[in-house]
Amino acid sequence: MIDQIYLLGGGLLNVFDPVNFSMILLGLVVGVLAGALPGITMLNAIVLVLPFTYLMGIVPSLLLMTSVYCGGVFGGSITGILFNIPGDPMNVPTTWEGYRLNKKGFVSKALGMAIMCSAIGGFLSAAIMTVASPPFAKVALSFSSFEYFAVVFLGLASVVVIGTKSIGSALISLFIGMFLGTIGMDDIYGVPRFTFGSRIMETGINFVTVLIGLFAIGEVLEQLSMKKGSEEIARVRPKTTLPTVKEIWDLRYTILRGLGIGAVIGAIPGTGATVASFVSYGVEKQVSKNPEKFGTGVWEGLAASETSINGSTGGAMIPLLTLGIPGSGATAVMMGAFLLHGIQPGPLLFTKSPESVYTIFAGMLVCNLVMIFAGLICAKFFSELMRVPENILSAFIISFCLLGAFALRNDMTDVWFMAIFGIVGYFMRRYDLPSPPMILGLILGPLAEKYFLTSMIGCGNDWTIFFCRPVSGSLMVISIGLLIMPFIRNLIQKGRKAARP
Amino acid sequence: MTASNPAAVSRRSTAFIGPILIFLLAIFLYVLAGRLDENPMEGQLGAFFWPKAILVLLMAGCGLKVLESFFAFGKGVAETGLEGPPAEIKNGKLAAMIVMVIAAVVCVENIGFPIANFLFLLGFMRIAGLKKKLPLFLISFLGTIVLLYLFVKVVYLPLPKGQWFFDDLTVAIYRALRII
Repeated sequence: MIDQIYLLGGGLLNVFDPVNFSMILLGLVVGVLAGALPGITMLNAIVLVLPFTYLMGIVPSLLLMTSVYCGGVFGGSITGILFNIPGDPMNVPTTWEGYRLNKKGFVSKALGMAIMCSAIGGFLSAAIMTVASPPFAKVALSFSSFEYFAVVFLGLASVVVIGTKSIGSALISLFIGMFLGTIGMDDIYGVPRFTFGSRIMETGINFVTVLIGLFAIGEVLEQLSMKKGSEEIARVRPKTTLPTVKEIWDLRYTILRGLGIGAVIGAIPGTGATVASFVSYGVEKQVSKNPEKFGTGVWEGLAASETSINGSTGGAMIPLLTLGIPGSGATAVMMGAFLLHGIQPGPLLFTKSPESVYTIFAGMLVCNLVMIFAGLICAKFFSELMRVPENILSAFIISFCLLGAFALRNDMTDVWFMAIFGIVGYFMRRYDLPSPPMILGLILGPLAEKYFLTSMIGCGNDWTIFFCRPVSGSLMVISIGLLIMPFIRNLIQKGRKAARP
Repeated sequence: MTASNPAAVSRRSTAFIGPILIFLLAIFLYVLAGRLDENPMEGQLGAFFWPKAILVLLMAGCGLKVLESFFAFGKGVAETGLEGPPAEIKNGKLAAMIVMVIAAVVCVENIGFPIANFLFLLGFMRIAGLKKKLPLFLISFLGTIVLLYLFVKVVYLPLPKGQWFFDDLTVAIYRALRII
């Protein structure tokens, strides 16, 4: 323990070296901006800064990438709250509550709360990572496809809490999303599915194109097509107001739940911040006394999602640093940076170059604190955009969406999908078919399929295996509980109504 | 809302027709999946097991939605997510905006991003309600230049240059702006 504290102290001194600290600042700004721009993901930003690290030492390069990572996972929440355009899929639950809070007139506080919850989640997650790396990674290493499927199933089960008005509509949307996820070349058997002979369709439908279309284009079309619309609404420049200590204290259990879920799910390879934010939001809604208010602008929903997103960053670093297993795309690129500098991540890293490891730990702790200021600056920049008249802003949003969709693979097919799903998104809104479950299905469906089929191949198609293993069994029981809870709640409410005189 | 109200009747129809159409589409895709499904290796579920399972679940979801709507309307309470007065929609403006979005994609592919984006911004902002000609033109022109510098010069994104004559024209625009 003493050794750990000593190493962490050394790491903190390294972090405050001018070059290293400037890398943190630069990385945070790049990460937040990239995360906020639809179509340019946090992962894109980490990949873009990778070539710049060739000429740096290992410590500044890892600090740069770590800060891009921490800033990037938060950045998407800014545009989500301001414009209903989540920068990344992980920011979707934040957008559900944040944008509604914006519409209610709480945009300043919503931005501040998002920044603060992200910083708290990220800081505490980094602290957990520092203390609990080795034992935690051992648990995650024992996971196989059965446990992975159970985790993804838990994420899918959260759809019942997303579908606020009608479970039937939510399920239809979810299964359409899952079906869209099956289009293209099958990963396990190598068979093209529903491609209708088109080679372009073999690559499948990229969920980012669907995400941009459903949320951005659908929103623009809805806002501009309504009568008594935007021209009459006075556009104000929102400021960012950080929440008070009391407001944070009031949300302490929400924040702790979000942190726990984020750290645990982040540490499981293949899951990451997106699953963490959906599960955290779903759990928060289930434990809430007013679950029906979720989706209308609820602070608990915003705080849960934001804390879990940044809470997952520390967790995701655990398997990378202790076992050499990247748990997500972002940590995979960071592993590439390690290898570029001749360092092999894994258990030996702690004995061969503990200074580097503890500098990363210290860097993440500092980075999450500095992020409060970086978040405020970037939120101010994006808030300025709120002053632009809606008819101008909407046109540029669509232009950015076209560019964002094209930038994914430099392919016009993605732009076509984005435009089509934008129009579909508008009509889904108009006819009350919720779009978030479709996104959830499209992201998690392929993962669920992969883990399910791998499990079935390994156990002779015996599906009860998911209930026979302690971790997967527990997760499956929790998921089934989530699925049936709304029905039980309805029955209880009806019983209470009937019992009233 | 009563059953005799034309708006209510229309919304009731929507609540039933949508799930039924999706149900029929799911059946079509299920049959298609069955035809495409090659015999999987013995003891394995095969590539089409998962999509077929999803389609069955989708059909069940449609059934649930129809039941939800049936019982909600039966009780005279619209618990189907269709409650509240529908917002008034400018259908002409909506149609024009949808056409503009589709046209933008077609044009980007065929006449290149710079010209297509300029025309799109011009047209879309006009439809959205910006009527002053000078700001309309200037914002479209300067906005396109900023986007070109940002995405072509800074991010090195190879934006579509268009076909035939437009390919050369786009390159000429890039050269004039000193982007390449």
